Amino acid sequence: MDKQLRIALAGNPNSGKTTLFNKLTGSNQFVGNWPGVTVEKKEGRLIVDKEVILTDLPGIYSLSPYTLEEVVARNYLIEEKPDAILNIVDATNLERNLYLTTQLTELGIPVVIALNMMDLVKKAGDIVNVKELSRQLGCKIVEISALKGDGVNDAAKAAIEAAKNGRTIPQHSFSGPVEHALAHIEEVTVHNLPEERQRWYAIKLFERDEKVVESLKLSDDVKAHIERDIQAAEKELDDDAESIITNERYIYIGNMLKGIYKKKGKGQLSASDKIDRIVTNRILALPIFVLVMWLVYALSMGTSISDGGISIGTFLTDWTNDVLGGAWLTDGSRAILEGWNVAPWLVGLISDGILAGVGAVLGFVPQMLVLFLMLCLLEDCGYMARIAFIMDRIFRRFGLSGKSFIPMLVGTGCGVPGVMATRTIENERDRRMTIMTTTFIPCGAKMPIIGLIAGALFGGSTWVATSAYFIGVAAIVLSGIMLKKTRAFAGDPAPFVMELPAYHLPAWGNVLRGTWERGWSFIKRAGTVIVVSSIVIWFLTSFGSVNGRFGMVDDLYEDDSVVTEEYVAVVADRMGIPEDEVEPMDDSLLARIAQPVSVVFKPLGFGDWKPTAATVTGLVAKEEVVANFGIMYAYDDNDGEEELEENGDQIWDRVAEDFNAFSGGHGKLAAFAFMIFNLLCAPCFAAIGAIKREMNSAKWTWFAIGYQCGFAWVTAFIVWQLGRVFAGGMNVVGLVIALVMLAALLWQLFKPYKEAQKLTVK
Amino acid sequence: MMPLILADPGEEAIIRKVGGSPEMKKHLEDMGFTVGGAVTVMNTIGGNLIVKIKESRVAISREMASKIMV
Repeated sequence: MDKQLRIALAGNPNSGKTTLFNKLTGSNQFVGNWPGVTVEKKEGRLIVDKEVILTDLPGIYSLSPYTLEEVVARNYLIEEKPDAILNIVDATNLERNLYLTTQLTELGIPVVIALNMMDLVKKAGDIVNVKELSRQLGCKIVEISALKGDGVNDAAKAAIEAAKNGRTIPQHSFSGPVEHALAHIEEVTVHNLPEERQRWYAIKLFERDEKVVESLKLSDDVKAHIERDIQAAEKELDDDAESIITNERYIYIGNMLKGIYKKKGKGQLSASDKIDRIVTNRILALPIFVLVMWLVYALSMGTSISDGGISIGTFLTDWTNDVLGGAWLTDGSRAILEGWNVAPWLVGLISDGILAGVGAVLGFVPQMLVLFLMLCLLEDCGYMARIAFIMDRIFRRFGLSGKSFIPMLVGTGCGVPGVMATRTIENERDRRMTIMTTTFIPCGAKMPIIGLIAGALFGGSTWVATSAYFIGVAAIVLSGIMLKKTRAFAGDPAPFVMELPAYHLPAWGNVLRGTWERGWSFIKRAGTVIVVSSIVIWFLTSFGSVNGRFGMVDDLYEDDSVVTEEYVAVVADRMGIPEDEVEPMDDSLLARIAQPVSVVFKPLGFGDWKPTAATVTGLVAKEEVVANFGIMYAYDDNDGEEELEENGDQIWDRVAEDFNAFSGGHGKLAAFAFMIFNLLCAPCFAAIGAIKREMNSAKWTWFAIGYQCGFAWVTAFIVWQLGRVFAGGMNVVGLVIALVMLAALLWQLFKPYKEAQKLTVK
Repeated sequence: MMPLILADPGEEAIIRKVGGSPEMKKHLEDMGFTVGGAVTVMNTIGGNLIVKIKESRVAISREMASKIMV
């Protein structure tokens, strides 16, 4: 065959499209993005014919230009012109599904219908005259059950056949006035286009579809001409052109189905309705939701089963961290490399830099996989859509959507998949807002920071961790309320309307595939960033310029001819520490970078190079914050991480001492401000990368990072300055500025808000 | 005519008018909320509704439901 055939799979959301796609392509899939947007694009080779590419279009109800999915789908159909469309139609909801079919048949591309869930229709005792339906629609229909796999290959073969030599001519017509206008429009505008597509263009022009009008580059004269035709029809039928077309399509389908579809029972509650009576009950909905979420959390990230909890995820993660990551990867690789007489710096790079970093990411994988498995289960059985519905009222109050909840739940584990989970939010504004605020929730890697501060300065008090979650939630709520009043977020309200699929038992194939897809993309994304940034961090802490000589600081400090007494005095002076405390680390590139940056944190109470260096490296990975404290405060031992775990008290004392010293005796307050800043500021590089991908815009990425850092700084500033009023040692200038900032925040929180009325898709 | 939010749960009603911005109206119509079509309120929670339209169940916010007249 000289030409590769391409078939597009189109259908309504919840019509079984994903299941059918998986059945048709098996493991021959490639996942990407549609150009320019963050809508996922899936393609695959058909199992029945490897030469044929099947493209999974987003689930859509119509080919109108108002949602991103619809625009993506129709751009593909119009511009890429696939050889055939395989239209999956849910037989239990024929009317709504065929509404899309009538539009697809107008495109001039052969259409084959895969009539899904016919088994359910028959089971209910309903009758569909498939032969007659096929004749009336003008396209071949294959009965399938996507779930069981019945008939799917026949549908694929029929689509291939149609792609090779099929033709679909739309059979439906509109009322007299509309057809009259359409004929006129065809004649004056699109007669030079291929015949089979003229009708689609004419209908779109009749609907005043801006994108089509734009793409055809019509002259003003022609535009005015067709406008007269449209207005004449509108006047005669007393409705706007778009609604005329929509209504007439539905009327046509309704009439057609009268002789074709016979429903047996009427007005009975389905099993799904009965479940909804309980699950979305006014009183029970929230308790049930809380219970389900508690289970999801407890199983994936709660207390490990080895500690009396029920979490499989935590159990596996502990094992990965302690055995696989710690013992095998780091220590094992070190032993092997040293056995090969590899240069010590290279051993350090590979074992402590790369492999320790990779190990840290690997540690999250089991928890994430269990979490993804649960979420896929909830999604597949139909409960996920209800969650969005139940939470919407609450989240709507602070500018987020009901669908923002899931990213935040995932974010308690790791911000990277949390940000990735925002994809399910269709509305651009809601999605951006969720992306920006999701990482405020303390992720797994931030927990050690909380643990360190709580342990070192607050005697291990549990309220520190509780307050961290509270601060995270408060930051989301406050940011939501404040941001939605800014101009950037004022537009595009997202009126909530969403189909609730019928509950059904999960299809394990879908669930496992979904879990693996999400898990693998987490491993890939987090993994690559962590490897690169681990190398950078290792380099910055190991190398430096000592008395004019550049190299590994540890080696250079062995050499007394380089590190003279005068030089030590210079370093001590630069870092503001006594001479006998000068360490090789103080000359590392990291210390050199952190020292000037620390000025930024002076007004927050922790303007010293060590917490600054920890904060800066926290951008690479939040684990690095604590790891760096370990390195920096473990004077005698360069391998600080172990020191911190095995002999924590000692380091905690030093941290407390140091925080008290540079904050003028307000160590607790400074440490708390430090924790707040680190919890709220820009997340790690891996999460920033995820933000960039999901925002799909450099401008928005920088805005998100800038906002997060700014919000963190202001919050920590207010806490530190106001805190000192009570703790003593207040700074009048600082206090005044803090009060002004607080007033500005309050003003933004309480100023009146007007929702914009326009709903647009870029 | 009254907005859908006031319709009795469980009772089938006929849609008389779909309002709102052109985009919102079109989206509702695409999902099956067309004039003359039947709609049944199945459930309400905090002002949001679950309605039966054609053969599907659709969750719809109070704001949108108030634009649909039955």
